[in-house]
Amino acid sequence: MLERQNVEVMFGIPGGVLLPFYDELVQSDIRHILPRHEQCAGHMADGYARVSKKTGVCVVTSGPGATNLVTGVATAFMDSSPMVAITGQVATQVLGNDAFQEADSFSLMMPVTKHNFRVTDPKVFPETMKKAFLIATTGRYGPVHVDIPTDIFQAEITDEQMEKEVRVPKPKKNLSGLLDAIKLLERAERPTIMVGGGVTWSRAGAEIMMLSEMLMAPVVTTLMAKGSVPENHPLVLGVCGMHGRQVANYALNNCDVLLAIGTRFSDRVTGKLSEFGTKTKVVHVDIDSSEIGKNVKGRVGLVGDAWTVIHALIAGLQKRKKAATWRDRIVQLNKDCTCDYDLKSPPLKPQKVIYELSKNLPDDAILTTEVGQNQMWAAHFYKCYGKRMFITSGGLGTMGFGFPAALGAKVARPESVVVDVAGDGSLQMVSQEFATAVENDLPVVVALLNNGWLGMVKQWQKLFYGSRYKATQFTAGSPDFVKLAEAYGAEAIRVEKPSEVAEAIVRATKADVPVLLDFVVDPEEDVLPMTPPGKTSADCIKGRCQWKDGVC
Amino acid sequence: MEVMMLLVYDQPGVMQRVMGEFNRKRINVETIVVGKCEMPERARIVLSILDREKAISVIEHLRALHEVIECDLVDQSRHEAYALLFHKEGVCRVTGTVEEVDLIVNKSGADRYIQAMNAI
Repeated sequence: MLERQNVEVMFGIPGGVLLPFYDELVQSDIRHILPRHEQCAGHMADGYARVSKKTGVCVVTSGPGATNLVTGVATAFMDSSPMVAITGQVATQVLGNDAFQEADSFSLMMPVTKHNFRVTDPKVFPETMKKAFLIATTGRYGPVHVDIPTDIFQAEITDEQMEKEVRVPKPKKNLSGLLDAIKLLERAERPTIMVGGGVTWSRAGAEIMMLSEMLMAPVVTTLMAKGSVPENHPLVLGVCGMHGRQVANYALNNCDVLLAIGTRFSDRVTGKLSEFGTKTKVVHVDIDSSEIGKNVKGRVGLVGDAWTVIHALIAGLQKRKKAATWRDRIVQLNKDCTCDYDLKSPPLKPQKVIYELSKNLPDDAILTTEVGQNQMWAAHFYKCYGKRMFITSGGLGTMGFGFPAALGAKVARPESVVVDVAGDGSLQMVSQEFATAVENDLPVVVALLNNGWLGMVKQWQKLFYGSRYKATQFTAGSPDFVKLAEAYGAEAIRVEKPSEVAEAIVRATKADVPVLLDFVVDPEEDVLPMTPPGKTSADCIKGRCQWKDGVC
Repeated sequence: MEVMMLLVYDQPGVMQRVMGEFNRKRINVETIVVGKCEMPERARIVLSILDREKAISVIEHLRALHEVIECDLVDQSRHEAYALLFHKEGVCRVTGTVEEVDLIVNKSGADRYIQAMNAI
């Protein structure tokens, strides 16, 4: 059945109730990858989906298998990643009787999936599977969960049931506000385009740039859209929000018309919601009608996928000349905001590591991140252009996402260099996956920014809780990561001096086994600039940042 | 008080999924009535919520659920009664006050009809 859905690879961990399923798999051509923890099966399928734009498939057993997978599925849900998550279930005869390894995974998965099924009748099993794949990739992408009792796997299925056609409702479209949107954009003196994850998924980056040049409007991206537009273009200002680039936040706060595409105005982007965009007219484009007006209210809303709507806007706006004052000013500010973070003096700074990654990785490299300081340093300082991709857990903020996602990405695009920017806290949540990487011959690079702390939480304790540190330092010290990686059969290099960074990165990208780069970085370094939560960019903590508040 | 009517597939788990949306948005449901309806394998949920803004905010989320076929707020003009008339030509839906619906049902000469008084 999975073969019929053109599934090429799946990530799964077997268990008692999945035995009939795995027995069928013996004769199948589907590549099966065995992670060491169910959560990572979810993240791998997620990483695979984000790179290949195909549905990721993960399979785990009932009970603890399903509960472990919840985090993986929830992560995909928050970032709208297409996934089909299959959980085994105890046999229908004992379902609901607290059988061994029984958990109500149907209920557990419900709030973290786009839709989920519990198959209790073998007759509808084939059509349910077809529906699952359709729903995952129709409209706004998302994970679909199918809970399958073990006896359903063994039931006879007729050809007729196999061939049954299924349909799911088409996504809604509402472009009735298109004329209003075009009028607003035409009259705008300081237009700005904000793109979100929706643009990454519909691969509309080229069209965004066309629109940007037509409108002479700068483009700011959310964390999820990083990589969808080329960051070496003078009009692309980079990531906005809490740890965003100052010029991006400046454009966002000082534009008169904001065209927001495929973004849901997360609190990490808007800061204090009541102050956000009060002086701005907003045109909000999203494929999901429930997003329009959810966070930022009372705006022109267009419901449709990014690609279609942008084409409609381009057609509507054709060849209108705009004044170049705003554009020129922003381009200048963008140059001013580009600071030198090639920090050569010891102790080694994390920014230096990201600088060297940005400089030395090939144009088709895939960068994944964990969650925390490592993620924000990477988002802020890494330049994503060409075929480079940036994959991160933006919505749920799952520590331990990056490494398994990198493995999934490598499966999807084995020819590309895949680097996971990790923190020592995150990596310790998933370090067992070195076994999967070595076993399946997935030579990814883990660039570990090792500062011995749960850095981001420490930073908040330092800035907002009077440096009263609690439970953020690994007081007994972290394990020797080099030895740990080597124990799994990976290569590892420890880097302590700024001058050694570049060489280590180049060496790692050329290796044919997984490599861990243990960068021992300055634990005192914070991720700055930072807009404190619930505040506006006027309250920004700048630190090393040289930004002059938009004064040229 | 806002009244919301949903047409859903009649299968296990639907109530949990629908109520899950109210739970997530921290909306208290004042009253709820669920039952099979005139269509096979479909059920109708009628419920009431105090706050209009909250009611509106949840509608699009409910419509996005795959088990929800229709979801709408019932007009503020307080439909008190509801009837479905079956004619040879087709099915006709009537809503209004009890007297109005009664009158139309009596006059229509329908083959069969279903009528709900003070339903909402």
